[in-house]
Amino acid sequence: MFMTRSEYDRGVNTFSPEGRLFQVEYAIEAIKLGSTAIGIQTSEGVVLAVEKRVTSTLMVPATTEKIVEIDDHIGCACSGLMADSRTMVDRARVEAQNHWFLYNEKMSVESVTQAVSNLAIQFGDSDSDGNAMSRPFGVAILFAGVDSKGPQLYHMDPSGTYVQCDAKAIGSGCEGAQQALQEAYHRSMTMKEAIKCILTILKQVMEEKLNSTNVEVATITPGKGYHMFTKEEVEEAIKEIA
Amino acid sequence: MALLPDLPKGGFVFENFQRNEFLKAKGFRAPKATKTGTTIVGCLVKDGVILGADTRATSGSVIADKYSDKIHYMAKNIYCCGAGTAADTLYVTRMVSSNLELHRLNTNRVVPVICALRMLKQHLFRYQGYVSAALVLAGVDEDGAHLYSVTPHGSSDKLPFTTMGSGSLAAMAVFETRWKPNMTIEEGKKLVRDSVAAGIFNDLGSGNNIDMCIITRDGVDYMRPYEEANLKGQRLNSYVFDKGATPILTVHTIPLEVEEVMVRHMDETMDTSA
Amino acid sequence: MQRSLNNSETLSGIIQKPQFSPYTDNGGTVIAVGGKGFVIIGCDSRLSSGYTINTRFQPKLFKLTPQTVLGSAGCWCDVLTFVRLIEARLKMYSYEHNKTMSTPATAQLVSIMLYYKRFFPYYVSNLVAGLDEEGNGVVYSYDPVGHCEQSTYCATGSSSAFIQPLLDNYVGKKNIANAEKGKLLTQEEALRVVNDAFVSATERNMYCGDSIILNIITEKGIEERVIPLRKD
Repeated sequence: MFMTRSEYDRGVNTFSPEGRLFQVEYAIEAIKLGSTAIGIQTSEGVVLAVEKRVTSTLMVPATTEKIVEIDDHIGCACSGLMADSRTMVDRARVEAQNHWFLYNEKMSVESVTQAVSNLAIQFGDSDSDGNAMSRPFGVAILFAGVDSKGPQLYHMDPSGTYVQCDAKAIGSGCEGAQQALQEAYHRSMTMKEAIKCILTILKQVMEEKLNSTNVEVATITPGKGYHMFTKEEVEEAIKEIA
Repeated sequence: MALLPDLPKGGFVFENFQRNEFLKAKGFRAPKATKTGTTIVGCLVKDGVILGADTRATSGSVIADKYSDKIHYMAKNIYCCGAGTAADTLYVTRMVSSNLELHRLNTNRVVPVICALRMLKQHLFRYQGYVSAALVLAGVDEDGAHLYSVTPHGSSDKLPFTTMGSGSLAAMAVFETRWKPNMTIEEGKKLVRDSVAAGIFNDLGSGNNIDMCIITRDGVDYMRPYEEANLKGQRLNSYVFDKGATPILTVHTIPLEVEEVMVRHMDETMDTSA
Repeated sequence: MQRSLNNSETLSGIIQKPQFSPYTDNGGTVIAVGGKGFVIIGCDSRLSSGYTINTRFQPKLFKLTPQTVLGSAGCWCDVLTFVRLIEARLKMYSYEHNKTMSTPATAQLVSIMLYYKRFFPYYVSNLVAGLDEEGNGVVYSYDPVGHCEQSTYCATGSSSAFIQPLLDNYVGKKNIANAEKGKLLTQEEALRVVNDAFVSATERNMYCGDSIILNIITEKGIEERVIPLRKD
């Protein structure tokens, strides 16, 4: 078994005899090393929350940015290799702006996800004049936004596959968090409940104690669009679950 | 100081030519002359000759005149259709027309058609094509019925049937297929109508009505219009303005002061005997 | 001694270069009037070049989506190319985004596609008519290089100079002292004024005529009508 693997896990363009692409599977494994990110979609909007690993007291926590704005109406949370995520976020932003430029309308969340997934599956594509990565991206992304269909949450993994979710957890604590989401989620959830729920679950799966420096929270609502919580707002939200 | 003022010399005045060329070079565009885009035709028949014309005059793509008169009077026995610059066709025929009348008075006989032709072509040749009039000249004289076409440069043809103007090709197509010698007047009228109609419907420079003029030894039958080739479209709305549609910006009243009132009484009664 | 003239010289000493003239004007007029819950776009059906009529029945309206129609006149070969490109872009959009393009999005795309050819423009006069988010009529007018203006009525093409003043007065109530401004026409009123505009333009413009083709766009769909005009 080990022998088979070592022969077929080198090239990204080579299937194993069992029909697997090991490099892609390894990339998906890489996500599980990343910090936990959770997203919940409600009828009022979408909420994203991520854990920020502050490995040293000398590190400035604000410099690690795991929830980013794509456009006024879309945000995303990343888990995995953050350097890789920059490339994908850049693509998402360019696509969203280009769509606005071309059609004078907001790009739908699904279309943004689709556009980024096109980038994600370009690995090993020798035809795309040297722009493509030679390996899969080591990131999973939660795209959250509000469009003509209402609040939307999409999950995309390194293989470029994307699925729409009501609630999704990625990263190291994803198994426990997903289990907890399964139990806590209901369709009539308000935004307030969702924020409370997301922080409760994050608190459960995090190794460190939850505080306003090691967590990022953002909401995307029809009224306010993308909104990243300030330190005060995070503290307030944490107080709610205490 | 002369007792009699000098009569103006004949011909055109060119004193503004250099100024106009200068203005053109500076980018000042000269106003557009009205053209008779035009279909004009002529056709010999057994007892005379028939002229036909459309009634559209254009300025660029704009229809400047919908009921332009293109069959010009030359003499009692001679008429002439004109195509080209509307002013040129009008003044060339008017000038020749008055000269023909003087000629008739001097010679005291019916002026032959060839005489009108000479006057026209000599004038046109003198101006080297700059007087842009393409003509179809027709008339009846001692020798019978005659039909000529004259180009703006002054060349002419004596023909049994002819067409001129932007619709000439469409009109000529009808003549070429259907003309035959010694047609009756009724046959000729039908052919001329169809020929002008071909120009009206297939050439954008020609349109609106069909005018016709039949010249025989017995006299002239000038029909304007002979036929309205097109019915005008019907408008569905009224576009009358409501009262007060024009804003009054300022009102300034000048009072009329009556300084004196004078009443004159007429004693005599009006003479109504005549 | 005689000097031979080279190719670019003439006897008059003016240097004449062979002129590249890629454009031709095939005429055509498009009018659109919108109102509450509807928009009407109409064109004449004459296609001409110079003094000749190429055809008496060439519709210049193109259904882009179930609620958007493009009216295009000018250089006919450019119109055909432009419409094909935009139809392709619309199809790509529907595949990529799983929806038909809205009228405002189509309007923006038309503008972008025109500006893309800024230095070798499509020689076309465009009008986009459709329904906005509320289902009301909107009209977008363009110049050949992509300037776009939204309105509720507009005329473009060879007879625009005759028709736009009429629409400004009758539909827009411009320069009328006691008029009720901003009041939209009903569908019947709009149909009548579009008909009259074409009838009158045909009287005075030789590139307008033969017939009117009307598209009446409502939430229910697009109704097409043909009305005859004079043919001279």
